[in-house]
Amino acid sequence: MQLLDIRNLTIELRTSDTVIRAVDRVSLSLKEGEVHALVGESGSGKSLIAKAIVGVLNKRWHITADRMHWRGVDLMRLSSEQRRKIVGQDIAMIYQDPSRCLDPTAKIFDQIAETLPEIQSKGFFLKRNRQRKDRVKALIHKVGIKDHEKVLTSYPHELSEGVCQKVMIAMAIARTPKLLIADEPTTALESTTRAQVFRLLKSLNQLKNMSILMISHELEEIVNWSHGMHVLYCGQMVEAGPTGKIFKQPRHPYTQALLKSLPDYEQGLAHKEPFYALKGTIPTLQHLPIGCRLGPRCPQAQKACVVTPPLTKQHGHSYACHFPLIKAMK
Amino acid sequence: MMQPLLKVQALSKSFNLRAGLFSRKRFEVLKNISFCLNQGETLAIIGETGSGKSTLAKLLSGADSADSGQILLDGTIIEDKGIRDQQCRHIRMIFQDSEASLNPGLTIGDMLDDCLQYNSDLDKETRANKISATLHKVGLLNDHQHYYPHMFSGGQLQRVALARALILDPKVVVLDEALSSLDPSVRAQTVNLLLKLQQDTGLSYILITHHLSLVRHISDHLVVLDHGEIVESGKTETIFGQPQSKVTQKLLSC
Repeated sequence: MQLLDIRNLTIELRTSDTVIRAVDRVSLSLKEGEVHALVGESGSGKSLIAKAIVGVLNKRWHITADRMHWRGVDLMRLSSEQRRKIVGQDIAMIYQDPSRCLDPTAKIFDQIAETLPEIQSKGFFLKRNRQRKDRVKALIHKVGIKDHEKVLTSYPHELSEGVCQKVMIAMAIARTPKLLIADEPTTALESTTRAQVFRLLKSLNQLKNMSILMISHELEEIVNWSHGMHVLYCGQMVEAGPTGKIFKQPRHPYTQALLKSLPDYEQGLAHKEPFYALKGTIPTLQHLPIGCRLGPRCPQAQKACVVTPPLTKQHGHSYACHFPLIKAMK
Repeated sequence: MMQPLLKVQALSKSFNLRAGLFSRKRFEVLKNISFCLNQGETLAIIGETGSGKSTLAKLLSGADSADSGQILLDGTIIEDKGIRDQQCRHIRMIFQDSEASLNPGLTIGDMLDDCLQYNSDLDKETRANKISATLHKVGLLNDHQHYYPHMFSGGQLQRVALARALILDPKVVVLDEALSSLDPSVRAQTVNLLLKLQQDTGLSYILITHHLSLVRHISDHLVVLDHGEIVESGKTETIFGQPQSKVTQKLLSC
């Protein structure tokens, strides 16, 4: 069953003189139990999409979509109370900057306890308190923090970035959501902790059948266990499809450049040989090129590229390019 | 045998931590660190957080002083038991967050000019030539010296930081997580730039990063730190092929 189905999501920022289109007609669908990755460079609108799904973007952003279905219910048509109820129950999000997203004035225990669902048992209040404590302790152990006494009684600023990240994850999985949106969950962590976090997310996906929408720009970490991949460039969806297929044969020049910048992927690259990189940098949102936004940087750009290319779909692998790469990569 | 460019001998550093109301506890961050770096080579330092990597970077670049041990550059002692001879000429450092490490109130040209004014006795004209030459070297234009840091994108700022490091013609550049906050394609560009500079001018790098595949690609030698001690060191390929110690195996396995 389709868990999340988004068609032509557009997010615009209206300034006094112009309209800036930060996300341009992005479609995304997610089945139950799948892990999807949303990759792209910073400023490509990955976090905006995540925030639009959860509904935490502020009023200045103008969101339109042909449909945004959550298990058959259109989120766009609901009142904000109803929407909050659904989202609060089923969707959880791990935010990008953990130490800044936690409440600096509350202890970790109180913050986690707040996210716990109501305890059903009819015990006396002391008993309920103990139960809550046990639940919090269990959660914190689950994400790999051993020293629970110290962590639970401290404030966010006393903890390292890695531990804060783990606390965030504990808060996100407290309600066992159906969909977990992880916005760059491992940027602050070193390789061993990073592997630990990925192991945890993977086991949640397999054991609890939790769907995960993973946002990251570190491709090599998500390759092995994501089912689908969506590549964004400057707010446009350039390529989407099953991860294996995209890796075997990228169709869009940007995806190819992204893959080729990975040292692991290019096996033939000699020691200290320069990487393949596109010239230039990402344009700012105020000066977006018309048509295909990769245009000025694209090695294959031609005259037709000033018209936005439509999304072509082939066996579940879709790409938006007038001149897709046909030949398999070396 | 050729003399190594940079030689670090028995470097130690400890901090005082507060243990009680009046008592202090000594906390050894670095214990007896020694390694060598040849010209035109790259040394990578890996380890978990809290293993003393960043402290080592600070000691090398002269931002902090060691308790004991020596740093030798080209055979001459530049730091002996915490006393530094030359300040920051030959070993320069690039920080992780280039946006935060550049002064927002100065144009790029002024900032580079300050570096030259304080560290050399060149006259105004030579300084101006030097600034434009350095900007050109890192792939920026001469006009960029009138820009302020906020007018650049993240990748360009990293180039500015590199220009600031290179303007004093250093022999060693310390990159403390300088590549990890960049986007993949910008990172590829920056790595290409670093490699090209190394080929052209024989610059040496000390690379501190979590990114293991990058370490494997661009470094010649590898040092693995754990709780302030070197647990393993040697050629990158050998260590990646056959890690000897448990710490390295754990680091490389994921």
